[in-house]
Amino acid sequence: MEEQISQVRKDYLNKISGANSLKELDDIFLDLFGKSGEITLLPKEFSKLSPEEKQKIGPLFNQVKTELESAVEKKRGEVREAGYAKLSGEQSSIGEAVDIKPRKGRLHPITKLEQETIELFGKLGFQQVDAPHIDSDKLNFELLNIPEGHPARDLWDTFYLDPVNLGPQSGKMLLRTHTSNAQIRAMKELKTPIRVMNIGRCFRYENLDARHEHTFDQFELIYIDKHVNMTNLQFLSEYFLKSIFGLDIKVRMIPKYYPFVEPGAAVEGECIFCKGKGCKVCGKGWLELTGAGMIHPTVLKNGGIDPNVYSGIAWGFGIYRIALLKYGVPDVRLFNSGNLNFLENFS
Amino acid sequence: MKVSINWLNELVDLKLPWDEVLALIPLRTIGIKEESHDFIELDMKGYNRADLLSMRGVAYEIAAITDSEVTFTEPDPGSFAWADKNLPEVSVSVEDPNLAPFYCIAKISGLKVESSPTEWVKKLEDSGIRSINNVADITNLVMLEYGQPSHAFDNADIADETLIVRTAREGETLTTLDGKTRKLTRADLLITDPIKAVGLAGVMGGKDSEVKENTSSILLEVAVFDPISIRKTAQTHNLPSEASKRFQHGLTKVRALQALDALLKMYEGIGGTIEAISITDNLKEETKKITLNKDRVNSLIGIDIKADDISSYLEKLNFRLTKTSDSWEVEVPYFRLDTEIEEDLIEEVARMYGYERIPAKPLEGDLPEKINQEIFELIYKIKTGLVKAGLTEVQTYSFYSTKTINDLQLTVSDLVKVANPISSETEYLKTHLWPNLVETIAKNKKQGFEDIAVFEIGKTYQLTKSGEIQEEYKLSVALMNGTDNPTQELYQILTGISELKENVKLGEPIGESDGRFHPVRYHYLTDRENPIGKIGEVHPRVTDKFGIGKRVAILEVLLAPLL
Repeated sequence: MEEQISQVRKDYLNKISGANSLKELDDIFLDLFGKSGEITLLPKEFSKLSPEEKQKIGPLFNQVKTELESAVEKKRGEVREAGYAKLSGEQSSIGEAVDIKPRKGRLHPITKLEQETIELFGKLGFQQVDAPHIDSDKLNFELLNIPEGHPARDLWDTFYLDPVNLGPQSGKMLLRTHTSNAQIRAMKELKTPIRVMNIGRCFRYENLDARHEHTFDQFELIYIDKHVNMTNLQFLSEYFLKSIFGLDIKVRMIPKYYPFVEPGAAVEGECIFCKGKGCKVCGKGWLELTGAGMIHPTVLKNGGIDPNVYSGIAWGFGIYRIALLKYGVPDVRLFNSGNLNFLENFS
Repeated sequence: MKVSINWLNELVDLKLPWDEVLALIPLRTIGIKEESHDFIELDMKGYNRADLLSMRGVAYEIAAITDSEVTFTEPDPGSFAWADKNLPEVSVSVEDPNLAPFYCIAKISGLKVESSPTEWVKKLEDSGIRSINNVADITNLVMLEYGQPSHAFDNADIADETLIVRTAREGETLTTLDGKTRKLTRADLLITDPIKAVGLAGVMGGKDSEVKENTSSILLEVAVFDPISIRKTAQTHNLPSEASKRFQHGLTKVRALQALDALLKMYEGIGGTIEAISITDNLKEETKKITLNKDRVNSLIGIDIKADDISSYLEKLNFRLTKTSDSWEVEVPYFRLDTEIEEDLIEEVARMYGYERIPAKPLEGDLPEKINQEIFELIYKIKTGLVKAGLTEVQTYSFYSTKTINDLQLTVSDLVKVANPISSETEYLKTHLWPNLVETIAKNKKQGFEDIAVFEIGKTYQLTKSGEIQEEYKLSVALMNGTDNPTQELYQILTGISELKENVKLGEPIGESDGRFHPVRYHYLTDRENPIGKIGEVHPRVTDKFGIGKRVAILEVLLAPLL
């Protein structure tokens, strides 16, 4: 038995060192470790051995097994490196005309929904503004009437940046938890009346599951003018939800607390699955779809706007949530997965 | 807040059937998180309605929205358990009145610790609190009814019957009721006796001084602590409790005194005697007054609500109104800490009227000035161009995975770092898009895809030398087409996109790179001679590590220069 093992070892170390291609190494690997490979079959004969012999053979066998495995892996590395060394001899040929393969391209479903939303509100005069993904605590929270230590901070589980490689002047920085970080910027930079929208990535400290993402997109409208009121808010909600889910959807507001609006509202749509009867998805017939409210006077003031002259609406929703419902996607993690089997469903 | 339905029925004479009440609560007040035969749980996460953390507060609210009456009255301070009793004081000192503006200790003796009557147990259970014994349960019952937490220390474990409220000293420790020994910080507010810490103020009592089977005399604490200090301590020690939740939302002296009175009477009811009491009061509480203008109400809601209706809605919610010409002087009930400004009152009116009855009216007024949206238009044009050319858009995380960092041997000190990542997968933000596209190709190749052409447009996060963060929109495309030189086709795709072909040109080869790219097939992409990106074949050493085993080409360009 001992001899047999030594023989296998010797034979295969030779074969491995003589191999010149990954294909050869794959074959050798199968001969050793495949279903009827030499190493696979060897232990079947151990039962014939005496206990003393077993004690000797066991460790020896394991040692040889490991040695052969790492020899194959090492040789693979060498063969690869030899291949890599040849790369410098290859031609660039970039710029030479070659045919482009015909393929079926697709937009990401989130892009489709965002574009649809942008065009919808574009018709009402809303224009797109940008806001940073990495922002200060001040613009993401404090100036939006969410001071440090306020219980409302529980609404946003936040990723903060490690100050270790940030400049000393940067202050407390975080990954924005909502598109509302665009509010103060828009108020300060633009002239009234204001109709803008901010779309994009937001981040929350959330453990991933089928319904929770730590990285997701939000959409938010900021509308500031004289005489803006809650009936306009109801109009914007109906306008959007009827266009996305169909004209027959019923839309209503209910009270909801967000520190940066007063009055604050959640917007509910009658459940698209059960038509308001109540089901597993909605519970009692209504789905909470967007969050909104009249911009808090303190926030208007922080943005340099006189709340005695102007009023405003902040209105927004989670793109992923609407996309889940609209497209019937079973798992929110699919959006950031790059999974082509999933993305191919959207043409 | 778990609201016991039986208990609520004791406190409100409901004029509506229960199912109608249930339907009304989310429309008028707050969402319901869970409901059962015995309780409803109000969705208080992040909410500002401190009053809804008490059964009395909930009763006032539900009475208002259902046009019903509460069955209780506000107690008369003249009838408080300690009034006219001339009791001696307990020895108490409060180091910083800002951290404990209202602090009261009563000594009660003659107690016998027993199990609670079934009626108490049921009330507690419906409210999500486990019954412990009669002495401890009284504190929880009163907390639930009045929203005011309290704590009973076993008097036998308090040295000199003396309590001191102070912040923790360096290195001090305390074993809390849950049996865990906690290292305290200087920011933690403590209850101590002259020798040792006996409780983490507002968060959890100490194990050693808890009420035990043989407890006969207690020092009962009713206090209002600084909400921010309590919040910090609860977070530091990861101890969110029913009590700390209420301290954080804010408490009032009026309720604290009522709760104290209710506590003392309940202890007397189980045979206790009030021996001594001390009330340290540094809390100034004034009735808030807000001017409410009728036109302002209707201009913000956008409909015409009659003056009589406005005042009636607010009065149902216990606001007191005095009419002036076109306005009211509104007195806010003491328990509505959330109500500060006129808009808060307008919300009260709107919800009593019914948000769901507010009609839709189109936007009026002039359209704003045009602003520059070129970047967004460019992004969408490039996306549709690439899709037409047969590519699939993907979106990937803004982070680098651990695998990407290891396989590309990235220097993490160059990356923007998250201080509190969920795991190492959300610790570092990406500086380039292409690594995640290589990972995307690897994942899809495993699913059997042999020809993969994907792109992503998104932001990357660069750290400058001076430690500032630069966010930039970039485009990256990755191609695995089965050939030995996919960069050729990739370049042809690029030149076929009208938004890119004018501005993005093939620049000089980059030559031997950092080992992540093919030594020959790796070029700059330039815009009027300026490098704005790169195109090339990912080094097979990298794709081998990802288990791709095929040649992969990528390009990545900055979008801002193309405007």
